[in-house]
Amino acid sequence: MLKPGKGIPAASLRLGGALEHWTERHLRYLMLAPTMLILLALTIFPSLYMFYAAVHKISPNPDLPWQFVGPGNFARLLTDAQFHAALRNTAVFTIVSVSVEFVLGLGLALLLDRFIRRLTFLKTVLMIPMMLPPIAVAITWKIIYEPQFGVLNEIMFRLGLPLQAWAGDVNLAMFSIIVADVWQWTPFIFLLMLAGLASLPVEPYEAAALDGASSWRQFWDLTLPFLKPVIAIALLLRVMDALRLFDLVFILTGGGPADRTKVLSLYIYQVAYRFADPGYAAAISLFVLFVTIVLSTWFMKRMRLAD
Amino acid sequence: MVRKLFLILAAAASALAINGAAWADFTVLVPSSSEGDGLRAAADDYSKMKGTKVEIVQAPYANVFEQGANAGATKSGVFDIILMDDPWIPFFAENGHLEDLTPYFKKAGLEGPDTDFLSKSLAICRNPYNTGPYVCLPYVGNAQMFFYDAAKYKEAGVDAPKTWDDVLKASQALTKDGGGRYFGYVFRGGQGNPVVADFMPIFWSYGADMFNADRTKVTIDTPEGAAAMKTFMALRDVSPKGIESYNANEVGTALAAGTAASSINWPNWVATFEDPSQSKMVGKISYSPIPAGTKAGSSEIGHWTMGIMSASKNKQEAFDFMLWATSPEQIKISAERGNPPVRTSVFTDPELTKQEKFRHYPVLMEAIQASTPRPRHPKWPEIENAFGIELSKVVAGTITPEEALKNSQAAVEEITGLK
Amino acid sequence: MATTTLPTRSRTREWLIRLSAYLAILVALVFTLFPIYWIAANSFKFDIDIFAVPPEWLPRNPTLKHYDEAFIQRPFLRYALNSFLVAAGTTIVSVVFGTMAGYALARFSYPWQWRKQISFWILSTRMMPPIVSIIPLYLFFNYFDMLNTKSALIIAYTAFNLPFATWMMKSYFQDLPVELEEAAIVDGDTRWGAFLHVALPLARPGLAATAIFCLIISWNEFLLSLIITLTEQSQTLPIGIAGRVTQYKTYWGEISAAGFMACVPIVIFAFIVQKHLVRGLSLGAVKG
Repeated sequence: MLKPGKGIPAASLRLGGALEHWTERHLRYLMLAPTMLILLALTIFPSLYMFYAAVHKISPNPDLPWQFVGPGNFARLLTDAQFHAALRNTAVFTIVSVSVEFVLGLGLALLLDRFIRRLTFLKTVLMIPMMLPPIAVAITWKIIYEPQFGVLNEIMFRLGLPLQAWAGDVNLAMFSIIVADVWQWTPFIFLLMLAGLASLPVEPYEAAALDGASSWRQFWDLTLPFLKPVIAIALLLRVMDALRLFDLVFILTGGGPADRTKVLSLYIYQVAYRFADPGYAAAISLFVLFVTIVLSTWFMKRMRLAD
Repeated sequence: MVRKLFLILAAAASALAINGAAWADFTVLVPSSSEGDGLRAAADDYSKMKGTKVEIVQAPYANVFEQGANAGATKSGVFDIILMDDPWIPFFAENGHLEDLTPYFKKAGLEGPDTDFLSKSLAICRNPYNTGPYVCLPYVGNAQMFFYDAAKYKEAGVDAPKTWDDVLKASQALTKDGGGRYFGYVFRGGQGNPVVADFMPIFWSYGADMFNADRTKVTIDTPEGAAAMKTFMALRDVSPKGIESYNANEVGTALAAGTAASSINWPNWVATFEDPSQSKMVGKISYSPIPAGTKAGSSEIGHWTMGIMSASKNKQEAFDFMLWATSPEQIKISAERGNPPVRTSVFTDPELTKQEKFRHYPVLMEAIQASTPRPRHPKWPEIENAFGIELSKVVAGTITPEEALKNSQAAVEEITGLK
Repeated sequence: MATTTLPTRSRTREWLIRLSAYLAILVALVFTLFPIYWIAANSFKFDIDIFAVPPEWLPRNPTLKHYDEAFIQRPFLRYALNSFLVAAGTTIVSVVFGTMAGYALARFSYPWQWRKQISFWILSTRMMPPIVSIIPLYLFFNYFDMLNTKSALIIAYTAFNLPFATWMMKSYFQDLPVELEEAAIVDGDTRWGAFLHVALPLARPGLAATAIFCLIISWNEFLLSLIITLTEQSQTLPIGIAGRVTQYKTYWGEISAAGFMACVPIVIFAFIVQKHLVRGLSLGAVKG
């Protein structure tokens, strides 16, 4: 890039030398600059807009002025039952799906690592779900869950179990969404855990084996502590994505039945576009952003990830 | 390996340079469904005939409203014509997104649309309803119809269902004999638009309505509303488990697969029921207008209409196209392409009605003429959402019918500010 | 690595553990593969057979009808091409700039110990729910007349892929021994040269893993594309798929055909780079 190449005449080489010197001195800034500039450009405008919109009542009519309402939009958050449902559903979804994905992903990685390490092929097969378009995943699960024709109820029927309405059942709808999400994203945790396991040092285990420590003890005393940073990153990324869940709910349930699967992204989408109330949508978004940042800062401090 | 990968990616990205912006005289936003496909085909004909380039912009059905609202609110003019579902008209019109068509009619030497259009189809195109100026023209003439398996109904002792009581009687018998795998009735119970769409006809059949005549009071929690709710609950009890997530597609599939005997649905399903690759019930499904409650039955109108965006820079071209596309000849071609017409002459055209696939036209025309539009309110999307939540809850059984009526009344009052 | 020796209690016990482990893996495989098989199987069935009771485990009357509908009659090939171009563009931008920034954050120090703050700020930009930035992005692209272009999608996707790429590469470089670069500089290479000739080649697996993630995320993105794109000039596969869920009907067959074909390139790609995937992560991101 900035290195003088073959076809450059000597005179410009000297000039190039000066340039190179300058580049060299400011390299720390130059290398960081493009990323910083792109991210600033792409986040500053949306953030400013969001803060500004959040304190206004914005009419869908472009000819009407924005009406300043101060904290009015935030006050609405306190009494809005749909927002409370969305908040609760998002919390349930995030906590349950990420924990299940973590346990399954780690368990599977440990099993594969220990029993069939050489079958890379098998590992890749197990990773396929996370590569599929979430929209296609949602539609596939919709067919599987279909209460009258779906394959899942056929299996229940064959096993002599009671047929269920799955995504159409008040009490099972969230569960159905979580299962589909676990299907798609356990592979992500699995992949990170495999990578973590692949970089464990050998010596401590040899020492532990000499001391006669059981596999279980080795897992608790060695593997888990070594994996801690990986686990932290994996959980952080998954939680960030779980908080913004959209596609699955949009296709599978549309937020129903009885508002039991309405999540924050879906609600923000509805408020901003269906109800054409971007001011209130911005207020909800700011709240979500605030929670996300507080949670992850706390988490990263605790896990000492910032460095 | 990595380097090779990057070379390939780089080559691919450079192909981006061929990002040639298409030049067009005007642009039309359509949903990517049968209406959109129909209008796209018409636009192609128009381009060939007039040498005008029409560009079609499409969005998934669930996103057309949002695209329109976004463009309207930002005055972006990315498209000139929007093909709208009729309940959105008040929102677009009252927020200044749609152009008043009156001057364009005048310029063309017309009073307004001709009288061959069905009167109900024209009424929704005016804002306020039936009295205001025209803000759009009807293109696809949908209204719900009642679909039922006549043989099964006969088995259950009902010849031709005329009232909701008939439907209940047959459905209860059929569901009872079905052993959990066959059902007398099925409806769209999905939260939001679906459940509201299938509740409204029952609501109206019992003389209830969401607002009083001059839109000054919310009238959901009334004796009429309660009567409708009672029938709705009885119908729920004979419908399959899981209708809480059903939409038009699931309802249609249940009839096509022969696992349910009757439902309300859109006329587009007629073609599917008669296609042996998609249906087990070819020739076995009958159609009728919506059954009566204590009042005459009324179906919900669901037209697709074309309006001009205020931010458009090609309004005259857009209007000319709209006038052409809704002409009798073009509406007939559109009907042949599978979209129900909006004109009397096409509904009664013997060339069409003698064909098997258009045998529902008389019933459909009757249904449109007896239809009711969804409440004309600019905040309809928000009202529909709130009402849909309460209906979803009552279908799922988490609240009682009384609570549902009371909550809906309160929610709609809150949204509309009518107290 | 964790070659833990089993406690030598009894052979039967060891054998039982092994058997249950294989069983668990088998269950995971079936759970993973069945839905994929089901999309594939449905894509070859007539609509009426998709909803057969009991379900047809194998398409009894296979047809290519839905492939014809999706790829010949409807522009799904075009959507796939758009998805590919957008994913490729996003990946290049994100990986190139993310690698440079990641390297800088891993190796250099900044005044007032700002390194930590900058790192955190970069990551925090990824926390912004995409739903939030859509309205301003729409205004932004409308202003620059870029609505409905693939470039707009690339810019929007870069906003959330770049922080991820930066973080992945930063952790990767942190784990590489700095001595090799120092040696290169002692031998007369520049700082930039050391990055280009020493650090970068060593970071290949990390680059590959980062690129794969960026590709997957942008190939599959739905929400932003839904708002920004309007015609088949720029609409991506997920939008094409969602478009077959219409007001009246859901075209399961076409959706299955398109959905199945949407995974094929990514899966092939994953098998090609499978070696890098685990290795690229094992040194880098996972160490934090």
